[in-house]
Amino acid sequence: MSEHVTAAERLAGGHAHHFKDGDAEFQACKSGMWIFLVTEVLFFSGLFVMYAVLRVFNHDMMHEAHQLLNWKLGATNTVILICSSLSMAMAVTAAQTGRTKDCVRNLWITELFAVGFLCVKYVEYSHKIHEGILPGALWHYAEMSVAKAPLFISVYFVMTGIHALHVIVGMGVIYSLIRRAGRGDFGPNYFTPVEMTGLYWHFVDLVWIYLFPLLYLVS
Amino acid sequence: MSDHKHQHHIMSKSMALKVWGALMVLTFVTVVVAQIDLGAANFVVAMIVATIKASLVCLFFMGLKYDDKENAVIFCTSFIFLTIFMILTFGDLLTRGDVYVKDGKIIPDGAIGQTKSKFVKPWIATPEMIAHGKELYASNCVVCHGPEGKGDGPGGAALNPHPRNFTQAADWKNGRKPSQIFETLTKGLNAMPSFSTASTDDRWSLVHYVRTLGPHESEKDTPEDLKKIGIDPTKEDGGGGAEKAIPIGLAIDRMTEDKGGK
Repeated sequence: MSEHVTAAERLAGGHAHHFKDGDAEFQACKSGMWIFLVTEVLFFSGLFVMYAVLRVFNHDMMHEAHQLLNWKLGATNTVILICSSLSMAMAVTAAQTGRTKDCVRNLWITELFAVGFLCVKYVEYSHKIHEGILPGALWHYAEMSVAKAPLFISVYFVMTGIHALHVIVGMGVIYSLIRRAGRGDFGPNYFTPVEMTGLYWHFVDLVWIYLFPLLYLVS
Repeated sequence: MSDHKHQHHIMSKSMALKVWGALMVLTFVTVVVAQIDLGAANFVVAMIVATIKASLVCLFFMGLKYDDKENAVIFCTSFIFLTIFMILTFGDLLTRGDVYVKDGKIIPDGAIGQTKSKFVKPWIATPEMIAHGKELYASNCVVCHGPEGKGDGPGGAALNPHPRNFTQAADWKNGRKPSQIFETLTKGLNAMPSFSTASTDDRWSLVHYVRTLGPHESEKDTPEDLKKIGIDPTKEDGGGGAEKAIPIGLAIDRMTEDKGGK
């Protein structure tokens, strides 16, 4: 077997030569994905610790400043991401059972939810930019004079911005899956990329599950 | 590696829908609970609900429930490291004693002496105090209030409201009498921090210097004004006696350490 294994070979039960079988290859790939997600948790850890420090020492400011955020839009985005996780899970199931059309359809639905999420983010960000609710020295919002409120907004923009970046990266990966699935790359013997992308996408949902109450619902 | 062939778990549509339904209900619960004021419990409830949601996503959507245990172990290590990160950070931040280093020497909190007022009746301006206040102003206040007291220092540009412009008479929230400025200096105002840890000599010196920056000469304290802030104007030291205080430079250090905000 050659170094590079084509999709057709994989669908026929092939695998890279250094693995015992296709199953071993899949499990190794999956463990690798989980290790990547560990690095993602550690990456977000820095942000969550930053948030925690700000909150512990500026409790009253956080309470005042979080009212600048629109919790209804935050809740809408929570619902959108949970729905996108459902369509992603269904795409994985479809890939595993060889229903390619169903897989592609669910991947497109996931993309749509992702676009919806970013649209809501756009509404939120543009409103804040318009009002001058901006990080640090860029702040020029006259209706709130709570000391350090711009610091909360900095944390808000950094945390949600990096999260949104993850959504955008996920959209790119999902799009490549759509193309590959359309080409007939996946079937019951080979669906590794779909499942790995699913793990990543659910992780992005996971981060938002914490971001939503922490940023929008602090009290 | 064992010879046993892994069974890929395939999630049924009904299972996926059930998990989705549970997540939606829990999101609704989060939002509803946030509208009710439970005090500190609000945060605890929100985090518990978020963790239940996260667990559902991990166990079912991400398949950890059916997966090799090693993947669950791998993922959980990240939360162990997050916990260590939190413990070390807060272990440091919350246990920092009041130890200050000044001129290379460590000054523990207990060693900060009882300082007796050097100036007699410090609420009355003297050229000596104004000169002392000018020095303190140059090293501690210029950054926000600006070199001429116009409130245009670089450190104040981002503050809202802007730092006080000492050269104009209008808009002084607490008033311009010495006792009133002394109160502002002691208690802080908006972004202006409290300098209560600085000695009364330092605070009064700053008051007298700041008053020379604008047309404030006519605003004078009556004995009642002084009594309002706890000073007996008939006594040389104001009747307050010795007090615990540290030099204003240390007060600034303490401020930048940011124990405040609470």
